[in-house]
Amino acid sequence: MSDQTSEPLIDFRGVAKRFGGVVALSDVSFNVRQGEFHAICGENGAGKSTLMKILSGVITDYEGQIVLRGTPVAFKRTRDAEEAGISIIHQELNLVEQLSAAANIFLGRELRSPLGLLNDRAMERAAADLFQQLDCQIRPDALVSELRIGDQQLVEIAKAIALKTDVLIMDEPTSALTETEVERLFRVIELLRRQGVTILYISHKMDEVFRLSDRITVLRDGKVVRTLDRAATNPREIAHLMVGREIEAFDLGGGRNAQDVVLQVEHLSLPWPGHARRWRLEDVSFELRRGEVLGIAGLMGAGRTELLECLFGSASAPVQGTIRLDGREVRFRHPSQAKAAGVAMVTEDRKRYGLFTQMTVRENITICTLPDSSTAGVVSGRRERSAATDSIARLGVKTSGPEAAITSLSGGNQQKCIIARWLRTQPRVLLLDDPTRGVDVGAKAELYRLIDELCKTGLGIIVTSSELPELITLCDRVLVLCEGRLTGELGRSELTEQRIMELATLRPALQPA
Amino acid sequence: MSSADASLNLAGGGFLRRYRNEIGLLIATFAVIIVTSFFNESYVERPGENVQKILRVTALLGIFAFGAATVIIAGGIDLSAGAVIAFSGMLFAGIIVLLAPQNDRKLPVTSDLDAWIIVTAIAGTLLAALLIGSFHAWLITIVRLPPFVATLASLVGLRSLAKVVVQNITSVSHGQGKSTITLDNEALLSVGQRGGWWIPVVIWFALAVALWILLSRTVIGRHLYAMGGNEQAARLSGIQTEKLKWLAYCISTTTAAIAGILYTCYIGTADPSRDGMGYELNAIAASVVGGCSLAGGVGTVTGVMLGALFLRVVIDSVEKSFASRPDLFEGQVVGALVILAVAFNELRSTSGWRRPFFPGVLGWLNVGILSGLAGLITGVTSSEDKLRNGLIAGGCVLVLLMFKAVLERIAERK
Repeated sequence: MSDQTSEPLIDFRGVAKRFGGVVALSDVSFNVRQGEFHAICGENGAGKSTLMKILSGVITDYEGQIVLRGTPVAFKRTRDAEEAGISIIHQELNLVEQLSAAANIFLGRELRSPLGLLNDRAMERAAADLFQQLDCQIRPDALVSELRIGDQQLVEIAKAIALKTDVLIMDEPTSALTETEVERLFRVIELLRRQGVTILYISHKMDEVFRLSDRITVLRDGKVVRTLDRAATNPREIAHLMVGREIEAFDLGGGRNAQDVVLQVEHLSLPWPGHARRWRLEDVSFELRRGEVLGIAGLMGAGRTELLECLFGSASAPVQGTIRLDGREVRFRHPSQAKAAGVAMVTEDRKRYGLFTQMTVRENITICTLPDSSTAGVVSGRRERSAATDSIARLGVKTSGPEAAITSLSGGNQQKCIIARWLRTQPRVLLLDDPTRGVDVGAKAELYRLIDELCKTGLGIIVTSSELPELITLCDRVLVLCEGRLTGELGRSELTEQRIMELATLRPALQPA
Repeated sequence: MSSADASLNLAGGGFLRRYRNEIGLLIATFAVIIVTSFFNESYVERPGENVQKILRVTALLGIFAFGAATVIIAGGIDLSAGAVIAFSGMLFAGIIVLLAPQNDRKLPVTSDLDAWIIVTAIAGTLLAALLIGSFHAWLITIVRLPPFVATLASLVGLRSLAKVVVQNITSVSHGQGKSTITLDNEALLSVGQRGGWWIPVVIWFALAVALWILLSRTVIGRHLYAMGGNEQAARLSGIQTEKLKWLAYCISTTTAAIAGILYTCYIGTADPSRDGMGYELNAIAASVVGGCSLAGGVGTVTGVMLGALFLRVVIDSVEKSFASRPDLFEGQVVGALVILAVAFNELRSTSGWRRPFFPGVLGWLNVGILSGLAGLITGVTSSEDKLRNGLIAGGCVLVLLMFKAVLERIAERK
């Protein structure tokens, strides 16, 4: 493995890429050895994904050179990269949901019968062999939309193997997986490595990186900081290199003072028409006090987002049970009613459900409270600008000014704008759905501090997160959901990752692994 | 300090960048006028008359283009404008002949109408337009049809309905069913003609000011842009998207109805089988040329006005250049301009100019198609030697495009 004389499999030589005026990569040079597991770490925006898109032929227009097995290559499209043995599994999977697993594996290279018609049987047999090889039970004729997200990922891996891939790029593959699915993925990765596949693994989860990798390359601001042997470093050093500064350990929650109950939920259920489970949420009861942060934990599909949607009037079906806000029963049918009653929600998936990408920072901040800056429906530009400037200053949004395009901001600052948008409605209850997703480490810390401050002003806050350490840092109490049911409540002193995971997987009929 | 610098920068380069589309359209419009005046003396000899004519036709198109643009900005599409124009023109004329005094042969006399009749006809037509818009909004927000389908149904259904209703109205007013209604009223006919040519133009400008205030100065306008840009996010920001859609589709049908009334006055006859045929596409074309994005959330009132102006100027220029049957070319002009405008916007935003245009078999095929089109259009527009001119033009284009295609292939191989 440490054969320094052999020439590297992939050699990046001074690769650079700009998007307009933004430098995404500059002078990136490092190499990948045959058969190694090479982790690439960096904060969001460090250039990891851009670099991998160049290597896999998604981005074709860049400077510098990539040398593969000693010969310079310039892929014009992903097909070229695939032919050279390089496949990528993107963070957002690249499957056609309406087609079967087998059809997806052979998409674009379908097997045909002598008559030239599709030979589904042969493709399904080949797919079954691949799944066998990966030691997983997926029906080749199952539609991808019916598969769990972890299984869908395995379909992508099977596709890569079918392409005779010897370099597999994985872009944050575990971000949507349950614990068991992660374990299975690692077993598959182990299998691939024994077959000699070189793996480039993008992640910022230290435990995964340190568990699997041979070498680690850290990127920061589009530049290579350093490539290290795993044995010669530790998670703390990598984190330090990623951020460029020490991450302070957090101790929030001091000085908080939970007061009277602001939100009371009793026997809340959300029907799920046409689904075997029948309920997205079933008989959930809890209360939220002013000045506390309540966390909601659970695996993907446990009903975290759905619970917040019920409270915000944006649920997909009529909600059953009672919700009381300051003792008065409320029944929201539209987010506008929730907004008027003092409930605010920062949605997950900022880009799809939160941002107005064509608008400026100012317009994004004031969209919920525009009537406050207007007289008889006509907006006063001056009042609106001062409202936006005020919010920018209060939340410390880093922007060139209120008129900057929202898309010119980093993920963390965009998120601050959306929180600012809702704070302007002067809510009593703030719902935050996975607020730090796609936000880099430094900005996360700022958001934590902000949430803590808001809590101390007497706001009742509910936070969901896919990252358990985040909930442990932030919350006074955590509710754990499993398949739509409340399986436990943990106070601050009982909060550990292990305890939460136990409750989150507390299914009535769990088959033994 | 850095933020002050940045805002200064925005103020300096902001004007050009912000109005890039509008400035481009203005320059293009003038360029077309100047080029046309080389071929045709009309612009130089009778500027006043030409300005009047272009302004009038632009205003008539511009009025319902505002409606189309509002819906597009709000993230929808309205295909019903042409049918609404036909229906409203018919209804306006129908109400007049039903209310007009009758002569001794029991036929309506429209030459001298009381003001209340005209006011009733206008009010009735606008009310009908609001009902049509509300119906669209109901289909789209409650029944949840895609806007394309809901308004496509109106496009065919409403014109057909108008053709039946006109028979019934005329059988009451004239004693026998007819397929058109003719108004013989000097005051109405003068709208858009000679002494009254300015009336549609003034209405257009008034609507422009009103729509500009609505879109850029009010809460509702901001919410329309927000909904068009990201409907989910708008709803989750507590914006009542159903009401906004109702407003947008009503603005669309109302402006089409205003245009329908003006057309009927100008022509003097309401003919629901022909009025406004295909105009919905002209309106969408004006919006798109004027910088609206069909994806929603983008577009300005001035852009749409200049888009309509540019479209009409180019059509007028083609009419001036080809004396025989100029009306035949309108469709080709609109089609070509829409492709060019959208392609131009698309290519400007991406680094598109450098990418190959004629790759693969489809590329070769389209080298042939474009050359054939060039030859065909040159041939049919030539007054003599049609075959020779067509072959020459087609051949030249073929050589040029093949040259480009070959260059692209060489660049690709490198």
